[in-house]
Amino acid sequence: MSLRMIDKGSMAAFVSNLLQAYEVVGPRAKDSQYAFGRITDYDQLRLDYNTTILPPKKYLLPQEEVLFTFQTEGMSAAPVFDTRPRVIFGVHTCDIHALHLLDAVFATGQRDEHYLERRAATLIVGIECLTPCDEHSFCKSMGTLSASEGFDLHLTDLGDRYAVEVGTPAGEALLARYAANHGAGESEVGLLDKMLSEKWPRFSYRLDFDGNELPALMAVSYKNPIWKELEGRCLACGSCNLVCPTCYCFDVQDRVSMDRKTGERIRVWDSCQLAEFARVGSGENFRKTRAERQRHRFFRKGKYIPDMHGELGCVGCGRCARACLVDITPVGVWNALHKAHTA
Amino acid sequence: MIGDLMKPKVAFFDFTSCEGCQLTVVDSLQTHVDLLDAVEIVQFREAMTEKGEDYAIAFVEGSISRASDEARLRRIREQAAIVVALGACAHLGGINAIRNAQPLDDVRKYVYGDKADWYETYPARPISAVVKVDAVIPGCPIDRDEFIGVVKALLLGKKPPLPDYPVCVECKRKENVCVFHKGGFCLGPVIRAGCGAICPTCGDGCEGCRGLIPNPNQDSMSDVLVKYGLTVADMLARWTMFGTYQQMEAGS
Repeated sequence: MSLRMIDKGSMAAFVSNLLQAYEVVGPRAKDSQYAFGRITDYDQLRLDYNTTILPPKKYLLPQEEVLFTFQTEGMSAAPVFDTRPRVIFGVHTCDIHALHLLDAVFATGQRDEHYLERRAATLIVGIECLTPCDEHSFCKSMGTLSASEGFDLHLTDLGDRYAVEVGTPAGEALLARYAANHGAGESEVGLLDKMLSEKWPRFSYRLDFDGNELPALMAVSYKNPIWKELEGRCLACGSCNLVCPTCYCFDVQDRVSMDRKTGERIRVWDSCQLAEFARVGSGENFRKTRAERQRHRFFRKGKYIPDMHGELGCVGCGRCARACLVDITPVGVWNALHKAHTA
Repeated sequence: MIGDLMKPKVAFFDFTSCEGCQLTVVDSLQTHVDLLDAVEIVQFREAMTEKGEDYAIAFVEGSISRASDEARLRRIREQAAIVVALGACAHLGGINAIRNAQPLDDVRKYVYGDKADWYETYPARPISAVVKVDAVIPGCPIDRDEFIGVVKALLLGKKPPLPDYPVCVECKRKENVCVFHKGGFCLGPVIRAGCGAICPTCGDGCEGCRGLIPNPNQDSMSDVLVKYGLTVADMLARWTMFGTYQQMEAGS
């Protein structure tokens, strides 16, 4: 759609105007790192953040949420939906791609109304990365260094102003209603093009091969000895899954009142790396070893999800690599698999 | 099996402990007064004078640290359909077991001085070393919400859930900055969750009060320590507070 401009001096007013109608969440400082959190004042918003501990996924698939409440007498139940209007402000392009994938996941087959209701009430304001987060991000290999869809508005920092790409009619309306903005002049379009082309070489850390080859690579890697090696290294702590923007597995539990008359069914984030994840009702555990579970994780990202949804299951954000205390990284694993077939 | 399913009789007992877990129970009763409608408490020395012996569920705090404890614990086991270990001392042996690594006579003299002979004692053990335990509420002290959750599960006739994954899971769900990334030291990757990662959330490393997860990758944990400039000795020293009994069992 169209390209608009917001002067940096108008940004505080933009955000405070949004607060009149929306809950605004965005990157905030947390100790030495960053985390998405509620913004009540523009100064809290850190659009210069490198990455966040958890992805903004948590606003669409929260760590814990009530799916429905129930009453045991009469066996009645009432669904719970969160439809508060919300703007997620300052989403990096890797996370935009991840949310785009989750949109497909939760709308395919059995529609997940809890996710989709939240999604329908959510607007996404992205921000272009001009430098890599740190040594772990490999977005360039995964095709997520830029985004052409999946946002309502998308900002690029041009110094004293932001270029704003309008992605949806809802984004256009948001801009018209809440932000002082103007059309892009020829020199501004030129500056934007220059910024975007100059950023490309700065992102050097990447796979040794084209990320689109991952499904084919994984198809011949099921018996690779690397999985056995990961058996010895992995702590099975689940951190890689829990910080991942595309992981969406959850556990479902019931919480009942003390008198056992009422209760709520909740879901909480789960992780396929945990020992009991694949245990079923009859007692079998389909992935007993850490090796099997790590293999499953990398197959999910590199093959199963692309086979199902046509998009890679990893967006190269690097969060799992940062979180892993024993340095198991997607780039390390995938490059090793690739090397095994090219040596 | 546990008598009146609608309102079972429960009792609380303590052995060698600080009674902090029972204090947490008393505190939980203030936020969950409905608990008093759901169960009938017949014995709870810390909270009431009555002493009923007709109970179906026994919550036991403390470790077993002298011969005379055993007969009392066995009587509790014979009476109760369900015995629940309440807190780290009953569950693991806990802090009381630190002395197991030292000569017992020295310890007794250090504590009781010239009255040392007046007091019997032997190496402290978890209650599961003496009787069969049906459920565990770990922690030092126990977590209020987990205690309530266990009671509810028992009321529903279900085995109380006990997380078998490490503290890292809850730390990540809370979006804490990893203690290791802050230059600290944490047992979280090998310690059982369920506490809501309370210590890392408040800025401290995990001390391991809930015990090890099943099948921890100890070699890999050693690698983590080396990577962050620590040693296995550092970890064992940290794990002494709650895991001395387990360390000595593993070494014997």
